[in-house]
Amino acid sequence: MAEKGSLFSSLKKGYKGMKDDMNSQDDSEIARKKKRFLLIVIFGLFMSLVAFLISISISSGGVIPVADAVAALFSSIGKAFSNDPNLDMIELYIYNARLPRTIAAIAVGAGLAVAGCMYQAIIRNPLVDPYITGVSSGAGCLAMAATALGFSIPFLANNSLYIIPVVAIIGGIAAFMITMTVAEGSGGSSINYILAGTIVGFAFSSVQTIFMSMGKDNLTDVMWWLYGSFANITWENSWIIFVPVMGISIVAMIWAREFNLYSMGEDQAAQLGLNIKMFKRLTMIVASVLTALCVAFVGIIGFVGLVVPHACRMALGSDHRLIMPASVVIGAMLMLFADLVARTVLSPAELPVGAITAIIGTPVFAYMLMRRGRSYDG
Amino acid sequence: MTDDPILRIQGLVKDFGDFRALKGIDLEFGKGLLVGLIGPNGCGKSTMMKCISRLHPQTSGTIEVAGKDVSSMKASEVAKLVATVPAEMGQTFGISVMDMVMLGRYPFVEKIWWEDPEDERVTREAMRTFGIDHLRRKQVALCSSGERQRALIAKAYVQQPKLMLVDEPTSHLDMKYKLQVMEYLQKMARTDMTVIVAEHDISLMARYCDVCVIMKKGEIVAVGDPKVIITEQLIRDVYEVEARVGLDADGEIYVLPKRYIEEDL
Repeated sequence: MAEKGSLFSSLKKGYKGMKDDMNSQDDSEIARKKKRFLLIVIFGLFMSLVAFLISISISSGGVIPVADAVAALFSSIGKAFSNDPNLDMIELYIYNARLPRTIAAIAVGAGLAVAGCMYQAIIRNPLVDPYITGVSSGAGCLAMAATALGFSIPFLANNSLYIIPVVAIIGGIAAFMITMTVAEGSGGSSINYILAGTIVGFAFSSVQTIFMSMGKDNLTDVMWWLYGSFANITWENSWIIFVPVMGISIVAMIWAREFNLYSMGEDQAAQLGLNIKMFKRLTMIVASVLTALCVAFVGIIGFVGLVVPHACRMALGSDHRLIMPASVVIGAMLMLFADLVARTVLSPAELPVGAITAIIGTPVFAYMLMRRGRSYDG
Repeated sequence: MTDDPILRIQGLVKDFGDFRALKGIDLEFGKGLLVGLIGPNGCGKSTMMKCISRLHPQTSGTIEVAGKDVSSMKASEVAKLVATVPAEMGQTFGISVMDMVMLGRYPFVEKIWWEDPEDERVTREAMRTFGIDHLRRKQVALCSSGERQRALIAKAYVQQPKLMLVDEPTSHLDMKYKLQVMEYLQKMARTDMTVIVAEHDISLMARYCDVCVIMKKGEIVAVGDPKVIITEQLIRDVYEVEARVGLDADGEIYVLPKRYIEEDL
C-alpha cells in the first residue's frame, strides 16, 4: 500500500508538488513509474465513467438528464433479468441502443490502440497501424464478397446480422496468415512484414473493388462497414466484442517489458535473453486477432490505432508499462467521443465514425506534434 | 592459459550459405583480461562475437563460457554470462538513458512488469560509475555519441556478465572519448570480467589491451602480447598496408599507416 500512500500524499500536494516530486533527484524511478501507472488507471476508470454517463445521456433522440438515464439503465437491466418485456421509451433507447454502442466503442477504441501499440513496438516503425498486416483488407474483401454475391453461411441463415462479422473475421485472419507466411518466408525482418502486409493488403483491396463493381445494387448493406459504424451493434454482440477485446488488451500488457526490450533493436533483445522469433510470432498473432475482432463488427476505423500510441508516447515516454494502459484509456475515450459525434451531429443521419476519429484526433495530435515533435523519436 | 578459462572456443566454424565466415577458431582466455580483436573489415570479428553471444548458431565447434557450453543453454541463461555492446544503434524510440541501462537487468528480473529496488540500485551505481547519472531522464536519441556509448557499456555492465563483447566502441568518438571508453573497459577488465573489444584503431588496442587477437579471412593469424605480435610485417600480411610500427618516448606502441598495397587482379 506504500504506492497508494504516496499517491494520496502527492495529490494533496497538488500538481506543482507532484511535479517537484518527479523532478527530485533522489526519487526512485520505479516508484515514480508505479505512481504514474496508478494515476493512469484511476484517471482511466474515472474518465470511462464520465464518458459512459455522457454517452448514455446524449443521443440522436435528444438529451436525457444523467440521473434519469442512470435510473433507466438500472431499471431496464432489472427488467431484462426478470424477463419483463415492458420497457418504456427511455429504457428501450438506453438498453437497446446506447448501452451496447457505448460498450462496443470502449472495447474497439482500446483494442485498436493496443494493437497499434504492439505492432509499432514489434515492427519498430512509427508509421505502422493495426491494418499493416492486411487484416482490414482481408476482412473488407470477404465482407464485400458476401454482400455482392449474396452468399449466406448455413448456420447463420436466420441471423443475417452476423454474416458480415463472421466472414470479416475469416477474411482478416486469412489475410494475416498469408502476410505472416510471406514475411517469415522472406526472413521475418520488420521490413519483410511491412512489405508483405502491404502487398497482401493491396491484393485483397483489389479483389474487394472487383466485388464492389459486381454488386452495385446492394452495396448499401456493406457501405457502413467500409467506413466504420457502431449502428449495427446490439446488446448481444456488444459483449462478443467487449469481453475478448478487453481481455486480450489487458493480457497483452504482461509483455510490456519485452516490448521495451525491442526499443533497443532485435539483436539486443535477443542478446538479453528474449526468444525474438517466438515472441514476434506470438505478439503478431495476438495483435492481429485483436484487430480482426475490432474490425469484424464495426468495420474499418482508422487513425486510432496509428495515433493514440504516439500520443501516449509523447506524453509519457517510451515505457510500455505506461504507454499500453494509457493507450487503452485514450483509445476508448477517443472512440466514445467520435461515436457520440457521429450519431448526434447530423441526427437522425449517422456519420461514418472512422471519419470522425480522424477529424477530432488530427488537430489534437498536430498540436502535440508541434509541441513535442522536436524531441520525439517515434 | 589458466586452469579455469572464462572463454574456451574449439574448432568454431560458421557458414553463411556457401561462404565460410569462420574457418575453425581455437581460443582460450582466463578472467580479468582486456582482449583486443583486430582484423580488416569482413574478417569475422563480428561474426565470432555473435556466435559467442548466441545470436548466430555456429555451424560446428564448441563455445564454452565459464565452463558451460553456450549452445546448450537457454538464451536467458547466456544473458547472465555474456553481455554485448553493439557497434551502432538504430532508432531508440524515445527511451531514456536510465530505462535503457535498466534493460540490462532484464535477465535477472523474475517478476512480470516491475524491477526490484535491487535492480534499480545496481543500475544507479553503474550509471554513477560511468558518469551518466545526471542523464537519467535524457532520451538516448538526444545524447552525444560519447554519452550513448557510456550508456551502452553501463547497460552491459548491469548484466554483471563474466564476459563482455564490445563491437567497435570508439568508431564515432573523438580522441578524448576514445581514451575514456578504453579506460572504462580496462577498469572493468580489472574486476574479474573479461572484455573482448573489436576495434580498428590498432594503436589504441595495442596500448590498452592485455592480449590481442589478429584475424584475417575467418582465421586467427596471431594471438599474444600486442607489443610482441604487432609488427610491420604482420600489418602488411593482414591489411595489405605498408605501416610504420614503433615505440614512442613513453614506450607505447604506435602504428602509422603509410600506403596500401595494390592487389594483383
